[in-house]
Amino acid sequence: MKTNDKLILGGQEFESRLLVGTGKFSSIEVMLAAIKASGAQLVTVALRRFNRERPSDDLLGPLVKLGITLVPNTSGARNAAEAVRAAMLGRELSGSRFVKVEIHPNPHHLMPDPIETYEASRQLAQEGFIVLPYMPADPVLAKRLEDVGCAAVMPLGSAIGSGHGLSTAEMVKLIIADSGIPVIVDAGIRSPSEAAASMEMGCSAVLVNSAIAAAGDPVGMASAFSWAVKAGAAARLAGLMAQSGHAVATSPLTSFLTGDHA
Amino acid sequence: MKIIVNGNTHELNRMASLDDLLKQLGANPEAVALMVNDQVIPRTERAGMVLKEGDRLEVLSFMGGG
Repeated sequence: MKTNDKLILGGQEFESRLLVGTGKFSSIEVMLAAIKASGAQLVTVALRRFNRERPSDDLLGPLVKLGITLVPNTSGARNAAEAVRAAMLGRELSGSRFVKVEIHPNPHHLMPDPIETYEASRQLAQEGFIVLPYMPADPVLAKRLEDVGCAAVMPLGSAIGSGHGLSTAEMVKLIIADSGIPVIVDAGIRSPSEAAASMEMGCSAVLVNSAIAAAGDPVGMASAFSWAVKAGAAARLAGLMAQSGHAVATSPLTSFLTGDHA
Repeated sequence: MKIIVNGNTHELNRMASLDDLLKQLGANPEAVALMVNDQVIPRTERAGMVLKEGDRLEVLSFMGGG
């Protein structure tokens, strides 16, 4: 984050720096209440085969009423060609140019495939999409994704849904240091303090799903994340104090009984 | 004629439009995206779309996802 207090993606401005996912919620009602409490303006959704047994699973209607911007993801795609198709299908429904490129062929760890992610992002940026790629925390790949026109990069904090937090913190710092586009930590975040730490580190936003959806009280946790992201962003803007290898007194060290200098 | 809808065989009246088929499936035409034989069918091209025997139609909607 630079000095601007708004998140800018693909030329569009957003007040909120918290993006929220819609997976794993116990009900649509809880999901909608949590999104409202989070203050998120960008919300991710997945595309799946229509299920005639459960037509009420469809999220489009309820989400459109919230007035948020939908970011369809490409989960389920195993390669770039499938991801490009998924993005085009998502755009048909969302009415927005946003897409979260997400290609993770291995269900065990869900690590993003860097080669297919790069290729899909390149093609979709050329097609005029606002591309947000979910990616390994790799500074070289981040730069390559910036070069092909991505609107942001979204390095993972740790494995999707693992709750292992910012295990890639040092790599994310390297990405931020070199990046000319917003850096959004996506995946692995468990606690609001980790979201705040990401923002203090210089991330432009944070994407949270499981930590809210799987919390004891998802609506309460969504509020907590909202505050944490704002606190972290404000702290970044204010500038953290310099660190010192030794103590630096905050009170005068003059001995108050004798008046002697310590 | 027979077509494949989301992986399942489906008997279809030759004259039926895509929107008729969606209604038959219980899908809201506004809330689904369509693909025929791996080609995305934009909303604007739905009306003119004619399905053929053996076509593979995918009907997709938004579900929860991160």
